[in-house]
Amino acid sequence: MSGTVDPGRPRDPGHQGPPRRRASLLARPFLARPFLTRIALALYPPSWRARYGDEVLMLVEDSGGRLREVASVAWRALPAWLCPPRHLHDRSARMRSSLGTALLSWSMLAGLGLVFAQLTQLQGLTAPGHPEVSWAYAVFDVALAVSALVAGLGGLPLWLLMLRRARREQRTRDLAYLLLPVAGPVVYVAGLAVTARLAGGPQGVSPAGFAGLALAGFAAAAISAAGPGLALRRLRPRGPALRLAATAAGVSAAVTAVAATAIAVAITGLCLAQRHVAGYVSPVLVIYLVPVAAAATVTVVSAARGARAARAARAEA
Amino acid sequence: MTDRLDRWADPPLLVLASLADEPKHGYAITQDVAETMGVRISAGTLYAVIARLEARGLIEPLESDDRRRPYRITAAGAEVLAQESERMSKVASVARERLRIRLGWAGA
Repeated sequence: MSGTVDPGRPRDPGHQGPPRRRASLLARPFLARPFLTRIALALYPPSWRARYGDEVLMLVEDSGGRLREVASVAWRALPAWLCPPRHLHDRSARMRSSLGTALLSWSMLAGLGLVFAQLTQLQGLTAPGHPEVSWAYAVFDVALAVSALVAGLGGLPLWLLMLRRARREQRTRDLAYLLLPVAGPVVYVAGLAVTARLAGGPQGVSPAGFAGLALAGFAAAAISAAGPGLALRRLRPRGPALRLAATAAGVSAAVTAVAATAIAVAITGLCLAQRHVAGYVSPVLVIYLVPVAAAATVTVVSAARGARAARAARAEA
Repeated sequence: MTDRLDRWADPPLLVLASLADEPKHGYAITQDVAETMGVRISAGTLYAVIARLEARGLIEPLESDDRRRPYRITAAGAEVLAQESERMSKVASVARERLRIRLGWAGA
């Protein structure tokens, strides 16, 4: 290619790079600053970044820091997530991380789906001539129940294992984290009952009150789901219980994808059949699809990665 | 068709070939591949390849105080490179011979 002497190919390859460029800023092509490379590296899995991040930074700098180099780094982040190098695998850490993420996104997806299904059904939004919309509601109900059941049964041994350990080692904070999935819903439902009694009129709560209660519900779900995730991070469990939970999360996420698809079908059906009814307009319903799709994607991708790690760990065991 | 022709410039093979004589760090590999093989490897592609080759045990990192960590080819990597080189050599030989018969190509 170029006919210049290669200063980057030394006898001692670890300690010599190219000569530093001294041209004025205006004489140089547009160069990416290191922070852009850091942003591109932030797109990579943490284990990949920890292993190769510094080297990539140096290579981009040595290559002149051109934007196309940074773009190539950013572009390769996706395959690094989809096919992470095997030698960087900490399968137990992968399962724990995936479980925590999948639990959080699953709770958000379940909340979004439940709010949509309850709200539209209670307000009598139907789509005459479109039976697939009512089927979609039924499919959603069944899929969500199966998904919760599978995740609950599969995660129960791990939860009990961590609970026993937290009690045995008197880890009060971890004990609190682990009890959040029980305490969160109880506190929320109790708060809901008290609010309904104090503030609810014959017509129920006001729209603003409903929005507040719905947001509080999402917050309760997020806190309840975050508890076990934090406990997983602190207690670092390993072994068959973790593998079972990760596998169950994978199955649960697959069923959750069915529930999310059902919600998407219902939203699409209502948009086609129920324009401008009960204060809804099609764009509002379509916008609802965005968080549903985002939560479903995160749930499925995280759970799939955890389940894959569980399968690999089982094969190695 | 173009994709198939690009297989000749398969980045893992280029990196293995570059490391065949001595250990090199990332920048040295890109420079060597560009100068000796005429192929430019971007930073993202190079480290995707390095990660894959390291995972398969075909190259290994060397200790370095610098952030420019050098890599060297392993015995398994050398074996893979030798096999691939042999295969490519056979294909090239057949291609040259047939071109010579068909076109009287002087380069054969």
